[in-house]
Amino acid sequence: MRILTHNYLQSNVKGTEKGYPLLIEPNRVVVEESPVNLSMLQTLLPKLDYSAIVQAARQLATYEDANEAFTVPDLPDLLPETLDDLFLTALYKFLFDLHVIEGHLVCPDTGRKFPIKEGVPNMILHEDEL
Amino acid sequence: MIPMDPSRYYVLVEFAVRHLDFLAAELASVLRLHGITYGSPDCRVETLPQLGPHPTNSTAIENCSHVDHKNTVQDQQRRNEKRQRPFCILSFPFDAPCVPRLEMLADEVDSAKNLATSSKSQTSSETIGNIILSRCVLVRSVMELWGYGPSLDDCVEQVRQWTDVSSGSTTASTLTTTNCQHSYQKLVRDHGRSWKLTVHTLGCTYSREVQEAMRSRFQFLALPGPVQMNDPTDEYVLIRETELDDHGSPLPGGSIDSAASGTNPPRTRYKPNDSVSCCYFGRALGGTRQTKHRGDVSRFSLKSRAYLGPTSMDAELSFVMANLAGVGQSSVVLDPFVGTGSILVSCAARGAYCVGTDIDIRVLRGKGENSNVVSNFRQFDLPRPELIRSDNAIYQRHFRRTHIPMYNAIVTDPPYGIRAGARKSGSRLDQPRPVLESNRHNHIAQTKPYVVSDVMVDLLDVAARTLVLGGRLVYVIPSFRDFEPESDLPRHECLKTVHICYQPLSAELGRRVVVMQKQSEYDPTQRKTYLAKSWKNGAKSAERCANIRDKIMEAAKLKPNYQERAAVRKQKRKIHKEEKKRVKLEKVEMS
Repeated sequence: MRILTHNYLQSNVKGTEKGYPLLIEPNRVVVEESPVNLSMLQTLLPKLDYSAIVQAARQLATYEDANEAFTVPDLPDLLPETLDDLFLTALYKFLFDLHVIEGHLVCPDTGRKFPIKEGVPNMILHEDEL
Repeated sequence: MIPMDPSRYYVLVEFAVRHLDFLAAELASVLRLHGITYGSPDCRVETLPQLGPHPTNSTAIENCSHVDHKNTVQDQQRRNEKRQRPFCILSFPFDAPCVPRLEMLADEVDSAKNLATSSKSQTSSETIGNIILSRCVLVRSVMELWGYGPSLDDCVEQVRQWTDVSSGSTTASTLTTTNCQHSYQKLVRDHGRSWKLTVHTLGCTYSREVQEAMRSRFQFLALPGPVQMNDPTDEYVLIRETELDDHGSPLPGGSIDSAASGTNPPRTRYKPNDSVSCCYFGRALGGTRQTKHRGDVSRFSLKSRAYLGPTSMDAELSFVMANLAGVGQSSVVLDPFVGTGSILVSCAARGAYCVGTDIDIRVLRGKGENSNVVSNFRQFDLPRPELIRSDNAIYQRHFRRTHIPMYNAIVTDPPYGIRAGARKSGSRLDQPRPVLESNRHNHIAQTKPYVVSDVMVDLLDVAARTLVLGGRLVYVIPSFRDFEPESDLPRHECLKTVHICYQPLSAELGRRVVVMQKQSEYDPTQRKTYLAKSWKNGAKSAERCANIRDKIMEAAKLKPNYQERAAVRKQKRKIHKEEKKRVKLEKVEMS
């Protein structure tokens, strides 16, 4: 699961008000380099929730200490007004090249854990949660 | 004779004779990617020269054994009404503003790179040729058209006029603008370009002498370069078109050349018949005519993939679907019924960022490290697709409510219950038993059957909600021939139908690829109204889409000897099952 995907997933267990953004509890994260495509990022960026990206970066940063295989960019709280290529490239790599392979996504309201296995988040709701 | 407009250049597109209903749709979609509107004044579709009536049409059918007698007459009528010819002539004005965007093209497709290296000196027709050849799967070759007509004489005459105009003798003063780079001027001056002239015929064979005679008609071109049969710089092609059937074979009848078929009876040859052929003369673009482009699809063949399922889409059709969806570099594409990912592979190969969701975790995980959806992408050096296990029936509950439309295309083959049944979340019980919190982490969520008509309605709703304006939904639907696409397909106020392409699979059954385009913004408060208007004829239309499996079963039961065959199959299954049981038992005893 990429951080980009985290940006639009939500928990909607019966009775949840918001269920967004989900907390990330990573157990294994890998980096797969891909060609940087800034024009795609620029069209996507206005559609993303920037505060959720910052939150994800903070959570992954705590995990980063245990494993030095990847770096999390130091993101400002608010999206800068002028975006230079350096910032965008760092953001692109964070959103597209990091993959949470094993771990959990946790609903901020109910604490319901959605497992991530082999890179696939399982968002299916159980029959009593519909 | 059809006059050619000297202020325009003409391009002949030769299609492969397959997926006949898709040809124009694919071409139009690929041109749209480059901002060219197929059929507009900037890209006019010229009428093809009339093919003469087939002299032996009616009698031939009766003599021909392989034609099904039951529906010959109707079939023949239908075919005559709507016969697709594997050619298309497009004409563009020399000063079209939209054409030269080659830098973009070169980035877009790897295979185009080597074509586009000489982009600086490229003429407009070469640019168009590259655009078409680098993407269209169903295009066989593209030619810069110098002349065409219903007979060889007309064709020769038109080529003569065309070269006269372009070499600047008559109306050249009005044409010599900077944009006007007529190929002939360039070619006739260049002594270094080797060339050959090929005579290509469809559905009949000409003897060498006749071919030579045809070639000599074009002597007046006076091309200065050396003739070279192997790998020349330019290939000039004279195409003689005769009427073909839906499989690309000549129509039965004609006059069979008995001398030619003497030793080799199965390969029937048809004698050329001047009254039924049209001629096209031009220069092949993007290499010689035989150069295999076809959108560079062959290496993606399903045979080469480690992970396949019963519903994997064949490589050719999935590339056609990607073209119909207008998938390009930087597109974001969703397949809500991803399965083994076969459709997304073709989108990723065109440079898209792919997201796939499915309710079945088993298909997403695959059969281990080297046989799963991700490995199918890795095999072609494509970036990992984004896979999510979620339920398309409740899309809006899995994804952010303030979700701004972000997908450029949704390309999918929904489950129709023929080879893969559809499921959605939920229990069959009215009051589902609560799951113990201690078991929550490894509880297997229950699913229940998902009615096909609801699959369709939900798909359209998700598409309307998540596509960007102008984004396209492309989906496959199996259907019977009597199916009325206009009234029976589901509809949505925010989506308009652009193309419907029919692929026959058997006499009665086929599948349609439906292309819809988002035309207006989705208003979430109107959802109920949208859903209520999905079917034109209410439940009746829904039912026609839905019960295809049942109809296939019913149709199968009507076939002769159905009962006996079913009994044999049942017996075989029973034996197989017992055998399996026995092996299992033996293993247990051994250990």
